[in-house]
Amino acid sequence: MKASLKRIFDTGWTNFKRNSYLSLGTTGVMVLVLSMFSGLLAVNYISSRIVSTLQDKVDVSVYFKNEAKEEEILQVKNDLESLSQVKVVTYISKDQAFEDFKQKHAGDALIQESLAELESNPLQASLNVKANESSQYASIAGFLEENKLRSVVDKINFYENEQVIKRVEGIYRGIQNWGFIATMALALVAVLVTFNTIRLTIYNQKQEIEIMRLVGGSSWHIKAPYLVEGGLYGAFAGLITIAMFYPAVIFASPKVEALMPEVGLLGYFLTNILQFAGLVLLVGILLGAVSSFVAIRRFLKV
Amino acid sequence: MIEFKNVSTIYDNDFIALDGLNLEIKQGEFVSLVGPSGAGKSTLLRLLTRELIPNKGVIILDGVDLAKLSMNDLPFLRRKIGMVFQDFKLLSNKNAFENIAFALEVCGATKEEIDADVPKALTIVGLNDKTERFPHQMSGGEKQRLAIARALIHRPKIILADEPTGNLDLVNSYDVVKLLMKINEFGTTVVLATHNREIVNSVGRRVITMESGRVVKDQTEQGKYII
Repeated sequence: MKASLKRIFDTGWTNFKRNSYLSLGTTGVMVLVLSMFSGLLAVNYISSRIVSTLQDKVDVSVYFKNEAKEEEILQVKNDLESLSQVKVVTYISKDQAFEDFKQKHAGDALIQESLAELESNPLQASLNVKANESSQYASIAGFLEENKLRSVVDKINFYENEQVIKRVEGIYRGIQNWGFIATMALALVAVLVTFNTIRLTIYNQKQEIEIMRLVGGSSWHIKAPYLVEGGLYGAFAGLITIAMFYPAVIFASPKVEALMPEVGLLGYFLTNILQFAGLVLLVGILLGAVSSFVAIRRFLKV
Repeated sequence: MIEFKNVSTIYDNDFIALDGLNLEIKQGEFVSLVGPSGAGKSTLLRLLTRELIPNKGVIILDGVDLAKLSMNDLPFLRRKIGMVFQDFKLLSNKNAFENIAFALEVCGATKEEIDADVPKALTIVGLNDKTERFPHQMSGGEKQRLAIARALIHRPKIILADEPTGNLDLVNSYDVVKLLMKINEFGTTVVLATHNREIVNSVGRRVITMESGRVVKDQTEQGKYII
């Protein structure tokens, strides 16, 4: 078994070296394919960051009437927190709202003077609600409308924010759906290009395969070294892609961050360097080996 | 050893290559197959390696009905046979040693057995000083001798040679045939398809003449090239 595996790997490696021009060409094409794959990973990361930043900026506030008691507000807060759609609920009391307002306009002397002259706090207590997904705000607003303490609620600003929320939702769905379609289409192109390149490489060795068959080689005896050879194209292409991808990220990261500060491209790919390198190598090796497996089958029918 | 019972092969273009062929070849025989082009000699050999399946009839090789052989068992049949072709059919990416070693590897030989047997086979065919050469670095005669070494390395029961001298000059042709006769002396059945009159006459063994897919003459002893 061990000797047989060694023979398979040795033969695969020897073929890879001896067919140097073919190996170089096939590896080159696979580098392009894997670079495209890595680019897709980067684009997916950037778009998911943009969407989650947009989603973070969206929330719904529930303002309570002045006569609402704190325990009633906290009851509503509890009710909201029991909903699975709700990510977090923050209670802002009247005093807290006043303090926040003062802080926010600390540099504005006119406002500070006006506030000092006020006899009572005109601001309302509120609950700030963040949902897990932007599409869930409508149902949260609906839930509040139905709540038994609806009478103490003055207004829910979902209706003012509804358009913005819907736009964010639209962008999110668009990126998700089109991103998925684009990723699948490009992945299909990548697989077809790799498969055809390896098929041509193996077609070139068609006669050799037939001869091996005629001298009594079993399917697996012939096939296995070709799978190793295909895997080697993928492994080398993966290594070259990784070696090219990181300098490209280092170059692009500051430019992307200048446009979109919330996207830490370099940080993301450095944190996940092992997973990224593993994934690119795995995809490369699998693409190469599976393409070889499919391509060689028709020549083994002799 | 080999038996053809009423075997017919018709190609896609309706060409009848074999037409109800009946033939028996015994263990240890040296048989020369002669006949004009298109007589069915190569088809007969390709049926024995099951590159082709007949449209009609039964072929028995070493007690096995070839029609009943599964794809998985096919390599085992081919390991009983050594093939020598006019165009050598050597593995161009492998050197002389590796070309022969491959035929042993597929039979499951260990590295030690391969290292011991391959140099002996190369010595028998006179290529012991060319182990590292690739086919494109060898002459026609050397390539054919290498192909013979590959054919005999796993001690097959039968050697099928399809026009092995077709691309060789007279001296090299005689060398190749001498090698085949030497292999036959050890008990291996040899079937030689050829157009070469001098070679057939010099061998002087059983000669089967074919024409239009049938056996028209079968000289069992001291046969001569007659078509």
